[in-house]
Amino acid sequence: MSQVSPPPIEQSLITFDNVSRFYGEVLGVNRVTLSIPPGITSLVGPNGSGKTTLMNLMTALVRPTRGSISILGISPDEPENLFQILGYSTQFDAFPKGLTGFQFLYSFLRLFGKTHAECEKLAWKAIERVNLVEAAHRKVAGYSKGMRQRIKLAQAIAHDPRVLVLDEPLNGLDPLVRAETIALFRQLGNEGRHVIVSSHILHEVDMISDQVILLSNGYVVAEGKISGVRSEISEHPMQVLIRCDKPAALAAKVFEQDSVVEARLHADGGGLLVKTRDADRFYKLLNHIALNGIEIETVAPADDNVNSVYEYLIGEESSK
Amino acid sequence: MTWSLWLAQIQAVVRLEMKKTFFSRRGFWVYLLALAPVLVFAGRAFDLARNRQYLQEVADGHSVSTVALESIHTGMTRQEVEEKLGEPYSRRVFEGRRNSRSWLSYTDGTSTYVFVFDGDELRGITVRDRGNFQDDSLIYATFFQFFYLRLLIFFGCVGIFVNLFRGEMANKSLHFYLLAPMRREVLVAGKFLAGLIAATVIFCTSTALQLWMFAIPFGSAATFEKLHAASYIGVTALACLGYGAVFLAAGLLAVNPMLPVAGVLLWEGANLFLPAALKKISIIFYLQSLCPVLAPPEKDMNPLLALLISSAEPTRAPLAIAGLLAVTALILVWAGFRARKLEISYSSD
Repeated sequence: MSQVSPPPIEQSLITFDNVSRFYGEVLGVNRVTLSIPPGITSLVGPNGSGKTTLMNLMTALVRPTRGSISILGISPDEPENLFQILGYSTQFDAFPKGLTGFQFLYSFLRLFGKTHAECEKLAWKAIERVNLVEAAHRKVAGYSKGMRQRIKLAQAIAHDPRVLVLDEPLNGLDPLVRAETIALFRQLGNEGRHVIVSSHILHEVDMISDQVILLSNGYVVAEGKISGVRSEISEHPMQVLIRCDKPAALAAKVFEQDSVVEARLHADGGGLLVKTRDADRFYKLLNHIALNGIEIETVAPADDNVNSVYEYLIGEESSK
Repeated sequence: MTWSLWLAQIQAVVRLEMKKTFFSRRGFWVYLLALAPVLVFAGRAFDLARNRQYLQEVADGHSVSTVALESIHTGMTRQEVEEKLGEPYSRRVFEGRRNSRSWLSYTDGTSTYVFVFDGDELRGITVRDRGNFQDDSLIYATFFQFFYLRLLIFFGCVGIFVNLFRGEMANKSLHFYLLAPMRREVLVAGKFLAGLIAATVIFCTSTALQLWMFAIPFGSAATFEKLHAASYIGVTALACLGYGAVFLAAGLLAVNPMLPVAGVLLWEGANLFLPAALKKISIIFYLQSLCPVLAPPEKDMNPLLALLISSAEPTRAPLAIAGLLAVTALILVWAGFRARKLEISYSSD
């Protein structure tokens, strides 16, 4: 896949402007306003939170009840332009009947109006990228769940799109293929493409995402880089894990700061978990302490991850 | 560039659809619909040939000339008839308490003459003239217009065209088409073309085979021109075109397409009884206008129903063809417009 040259800024974003979608009386998503920059963006939320609806809205498989969407300056109402730059791997696990993996990709590419030779070349390239060469001439109906996921991924990337929308793309993949696929997403994201992934496996989202969009009950509850989202959750103090030689002394020192609400010693006696309402001030204090006789080995945020953010923003909400 | 792209995309859709429309298990019954009348006419050809052979054998044993048979009239006695024609090849007698009735059968090798006697007096003559080309052409015309067009092609087109979209909805595979950089109108055109090719091949082949089977008993008397084969095949193709567009739109737009299908069936069925102005808002009216032999609908019909028939002047062929093409185009444009708003919600379908 070739490196994508950066487009003008107004055409480099996926935007949702006050988008709502209702299925009769049922809410799909409501008042979604988003700007998604290039890189890997994960849609995170429980079942029914609106992840798939958001993806389907992007790809015109469903239409907004109100609001507007723009994909790098293109409206989803123009499929003839949109799908030149967008590939979508859906959650639907059904395929046109009777086709082999290669035939599936080849015939999909023929719909682009490409020549036989171009389609063959692109189909094989995509098949190689998802490691399905050996199974390419077998019927898709006989594929395992993981293979079907990969052939769908191949279909999404076959035409070298600038935007990839992938609905639960890691479902059903074995660990090795999962790692390869994540590496592929990273590569695509690093090439400046938009890779939008929905997943409910939070540690994977944490590993691959440049930014996250958290959804709950059809509403966007947070968006942006994980650290940024975390820092905005003021009702939950930031947790910082510190490994040092004198944790008890450190605990006494940190309690001098008003914003520190809790400090807990590690069972092994080699560290401390601190909860603070003002992370910036706390880090400055640590610098000062480090200069005054306590040897600090590592400092790391303990809840600066999708899992914690999800728990704080959505877990509590769903348990209410 | 745009047209060539659209053309290439339509070709791609047709290529993908062809296999599905011709070889899908779901559509197998369409072949049965097309094959059924061929088998009926093949059976008829076989039966006629056997009947002729039998009559010839009878005629060889009881030779009677057509002139002698035609000279018999009611009022003659049984003795007079038998003196003139000789021994019948079949004689049946019914003896009642008050009177007797008898049937004497003769043949000239082509037709069967049955003379019915009450007592000794000839009361009725029945001529069974099986295999008369003129009469049978009318029978074929009636079959073609009232059975083949209205039912077999109608339901065949339902089977083929409704499934073009609705079948893919049921299989949950329609979204693959919608994820390609293709105008939805192009998709509609491609799918329609694929359905039309399948329907035309299946039903025009059936029409040709029916006519061939129909012609076999008449030998060289039934030429291609006399059979109006080109017209019948052309009308078949136009029926596929018209009904195809209607049912493609039904499959695209209705969650349960059987409701609009039932509506169209009722409308087309009631066409005979509609006022002249309303008759013209249907596919069957134009198709019947194009049929080479007009079948009298009131023949063999309940007299009360026959009273309800309203007649409308058949439309001239060029106008009927242009009308059908225009209606088809209109429906397809509308379907294309609605396809732009098409959403994928398999669960609710």
